[in-house]
Amino acid sequence: MLDGYLPAKLSEALDMMAECDCIPFAGGTDLMVQHARGSGVRPCFDKTLLFVSALKELKTFDLMGKTLRIGAAVTLSELLENAATPQIFKEILRQMAAAPTRHMATLAGNICNASPAGDTLPYLYAMDAEVILQSRNETRVLPVADFITAPKRTQRKNDELLTGIRIPAAEFNVESYRKLGQRKGMSLTKASFLGLASTANGRIEDIRIALGSVAPHIVRSRKIESKLTGKNIKDIPGILQELQKDYSALIRPIDDARSTAAYRKQVSLRLIRDFLINCMLKKIP
Amino acid sequence: MKTGISKAVERTDARKKIRGEAEYIADRHFEEQLYAKTIRSSKAKARILEIRLPEMPADYFAVGRNDVPGLNRMRTVVSDHPIFAEEQVEYIGQPLFLLVGPDREKLCDLADMVNIRYEEEAGVFTLEEAEKQDTVFTDYQYRKGDPAAAFRDAAQIIEEEFRTGYQEHAYLEPQGIAAEYRNGILYVYGSMQCPYYVRNALLETMAIPDKQIRIIQTVTGGAFGGKEEFPSLTACQVAVAAKKTEKPVMMIYDRDEDIRCSTKRHPSLIRCRAALDKNNAVTGLEMDVLLNAGAYNGLSPVVLQRALFSATGVYDIPHLRVRGRNYRTNMTPSGAFRGFGAPQSIFAIEMLMLQIAVRLGEDPLEYKMRHALKQGSQTCTGGKVREEVKLPEIVGKIRKMSAYVKKQKNKKPFSGIGASLFLHGCGFTGRGESDIRGKVILSKDKDSVTLRVSSVEMGQGAETVLRKIVAQSLDIPIEKVNYAQVDTGAVPDSGPTVASRTTMIVGGLLQECAKEMKARWRECDRLEIEKVYQHPSWLHWDDSTFQGDAYPVYSWGANIAEVEVDPISYEISVKKIYAVYDVGVPVDLRTLDGQMQGGIAQGIGWATIELMEGEAGRLKQSNLTDYKVPTSMDTPEMEIAYVNNPYPYGPFGAKCAGELPFVGSPPAVAAAVSDALGRKINYIPLTPESLMESDNED
Amino acid sequence: MKIEFTLNGEKKHLDVHAATRLLDVLRGHFGLIGVKEGCGEGECGACMVLINGRAMNSCMIPMGNLEGKNVITPEAFCQSERGRIIEDAFMEAGAVQCGFCTPGFIMATASLLNANPDPDEAQIREALSGNLCRCTGYTAIVRAVRIAAGKGAGAC
Repeated sequence: MLDGYLPAKLSEALDMMAECDCIPFAGGTDLMVQHARGSGVRPCFDKTLLFVSALKELKTFDLMGKTLRIGAAVTLSELLENAATPQIFKEILRQMAAAPTRHMATLAGNICNASPAGDTLPYLYAMDAEVILQSRNETRVLPVADFITAPKRTQRKNDELLTGIRIPAAEFNVESYRKLGQRKGMSLTKASFLGLASTANGRIEDIRIALGSVAPHIVRSRKIESKLTGKNIKDIPGILQELQKDYSALIRPIDDARSTAAYRKQVSLRLIRDFLINCMLKKIP
Repeated sequence: MKTGISKAVERTDARKKIRGEAEYIADRHFEEQLYAKTIRSSKAKARILEIRLPEMPADYFAVGRNDVPGLNRMRTVVSDHPIFAEEQVEYIGQPLFLLVGPDREKLCDLADMVNIRYEEEAGVFTLEEAEKQDTVFTDYQYRKGDPAAAFRDAAQIIEEEFRTGYQEHAYLEPQGIAAEYRNGILYVYGSMQCPYYVRNALLETMAIPDKQIRIIQTVTGGAFGGKEEFPSLTACQVAVAAKKTEKPVMMIYDRDEDIRCSTKRHPSLIRCRAALDKNNAVTGLEMDVLLNAGAYNGLSPVVLQRALFSATGVYDIPHLRVRGRNYRTNMTPSGAFRGFGAPQSIFAIEMLMLQIAVRLGEDPLEYKMRHALKQGSQTCTGGKVREEVKLPEIVGKIRKMSAYVKKQKNKKPFSGIGASLFLHGCGFTGRGESDIRGKVILSKDKDSVTLRVSSVEMGQGAETVLRKIVAQSLDIPIEKVNYAQVDTGAVPDSGPTVASRTTMIVGGLLQECAKEMKARWRECDRLEIEKVYQHPSWLHWDDSTFQGDAYPVYSWGANIAEVEVDPISYEISVKKIYAVYDVGVPVDLRTLDGQMQGGIAQGIGWATIELMEGEAGRLKQSNLTDYKVPTSMDTPEMEIAYVNNPYPYGPFGAKCAGELPFVGSPPAVAAAVSDALGRKINYIPLTPESLMESDNED
Repeated sequence: MKIEFTLNGEKKHLDVHAATRLLDVLRGHFGLIGVKEGCGEGECGACMVLINGRAMNSCMIPMGNLEGKNVITPEAFCQSERGRIIEDAFMEAGAVQCGFCTPGFIMATASLLNANPDPDEAQIREALSGNLCRCTGYTAIVRAVRIAAGKGAGAC
């Protein structure tokens, strides 16, 4: 078995993916920790590492119409530095890990790691982002929400490489993001909340709510959101209890080393309430 | 204070550390060196039925208890920890044996193939379980005055219970040690605070005379007590391995291994009862201190002693009944950690005094000051406060610095301000200093001198401070003062680098040497002066009754903390810390500021985010991802000042300093959180989870 | 895998296992002990180096990802003009205690000042949040970065 391979072009990478069992390797900030064996010892991988972070084809970052297209090798720091990255997304990225990790880590890696605590996932779910999966003979596009099937599980086939992410544009006038970690600097997320809405004349035209790290998957419910769409903001308090109950059924957190299920649930409901009441009510003309 | 001894000089060890030139133990390499990997118990309490090893390739060895030439026990206060486990294991992570060989990857492979069968037994884990099953290691008590009468005559009795959690030292350099035999001499190198503790442990375990042992301290990347007794264990292990393999053996811990298996700060449960007279003064106090010592007692008895002798904090309480117990549990052994038991008691007494003041509707700081010790007061153990107590000046200064009164009045919801008053007993507890009788040597060679001590530089600045004390005493440049490599073959036993004793005790002895040398400077080119510590004749201590002067002198301080609590998430932001200290005379302001800022930050961590919980013998937070220490974003701005209070028996008037800041910040932060939320705080760490759980609003 | 990269200004060719950590190559192969292993999982920053001018944790970098990269370690950085300014600033502020974290902080400081020659306190604290220090409480380190910025460490 080859220990590693550095393709010169994307087509070469896809040939490798088709022909042998490879681990696509971008920034590696999750993979290296997951395979670490201790001080002074080489991490142990049972497949060939396919290093894709230098592939020019995956370093692209552009707007196609209003859709943001981000290549799989673009680092989080590069996203933060790009003027085209939406402000709320930058706010999320800024709170993710610390600069040295962001200099290496990629958005594609955060998606493929498929952790319910993945910091970028609530945003990608809320924005209906899609991933582009390429193999030698096929290209398919899947919503991120479908691509991730369970913690640590995705629909990526063995011969496929996630080559890019597409984020459709949307305008919001209410944006709120809260990440809760064990401390302020560099933390894994123990619970996160993203609320995005656009309102006009006191009415909700579009609203999206996503929660991270409080269930086996990112919590986003179009059904609950549709109860709010078209409503007058001032009517929210009247249905708040019902909405919280709806969300409560979806929020199924766990106890672990970083927090408790009880806290995660309660703080999520408080953040939902804060967004729907405090952030939204400010938008009543 | 900006001149003389307090004026900062350039740290003598810092440039080579910045440039990456300083050699820590992991940076050393010995010819034909082997590495050691520890195989540990995966059970909290069990009998070992069988150990099956994989076939060992050439040059690979298993090293265990049958290879120990002497006693299979680590020598410390209570020498109960086996070097390698015998039939029985008492905690998860307990060392069973070492795998030793040239390649670390191969050692990992071999470790994966080791198979151990256990017969599990029921363990004891929490203090509650331990108390119920009475697994007591040590039970101490002492009293002062007539507590029974104080409680009988009390106008009011207030009872409270306080808890503090585990804390991991999280020194940045993991534990590391190496041993080799050269010309019949056993050399041990490593990251450590107490080379002579290591030597004494090796004498018993290796059963060889002291002339055949040399312990050499390498650049030590932080310790905080975590490298006080623990390296004695690892040193014995690698020494046994070096003897068996006849090769140098190096052992560097992985971070998660270090967190799981090295010592921790003792979790505590402290029950308090206070008797108030009709003027609302606290006249009597009962305090019952329970510490979770873990699987072996080790030096926990001494930790318990300091906890008990700090029971009343800075307060003069005439009638006392104090009891303390160390409990055995099937947890990783607890051990030395900056403050050494005092932080637990000071937290309890500070929160108790705050709660009484709040109940009485009094200003906490004023209420506390009414009880403050003064010069001539009796200490809790019936000793005498000999120095001037400058608490009024300290408190006046900190009130002004922090605009305390104004901020109390203009309080916003969910923001709070809190104060703590505290002291720290300088040097060893009780008979410690007179038992150790530290020795130092100062020698002159023409125009330069060399100081020989066993005190180590571990980040705190000992090298700079001790060189400076000698240089200024002799009136020569600091570059002319060499700090001899700490090597038990070449330096005398001036005692361990613990208990904030280095500047005051060891520095004091060096100053005496320097004074004498100065008087005899012109006598000859070469001159050697040796001094041995003499316990002041006016200090009295009875170890059987715990009566007398537990400490020769105290350092004092006050902290004020400002916090904000997030009303939705209950996350705490410590916004600012004000601190005023009396450490006698600062020996080097920049070094001292560094100690204070670092101690404050470590205390904030313990009080807020540093959660470490046991779960059936396993530590739930066992790496730096799950166990969080403060980052630059979690640490507030700090404003620090000192009051001058020269101690006549300390070098240039210095007292102790290193542990003092740690003792002060946790109760100040907790008091501020209590103020912000308008509720009693009886425990730390104040995680958002715990604060929300005790909130009934939702 | 055969890897070619630049280390402290010199071209290097190595034939190593692709998963070998840069940290182990720097320490073991090149004897660059200024790069420390504090945790091996990207939490502490003691193993930081500059790669193409940006601070990264060498414990998380497999050699396979290093092709064509420019690596600077603390040892070499401190020889530079900017390195000397930062070193002096750390001395002046008293930002060094046990020293195990210090080379990593030097790297983080260099990386920050490369991108932002005049950072404010919040930006400094944010930029240093990937480095743990257990001795100083960060106050002196933050001050050191401000001093270094003031003396033009970001501009040269």
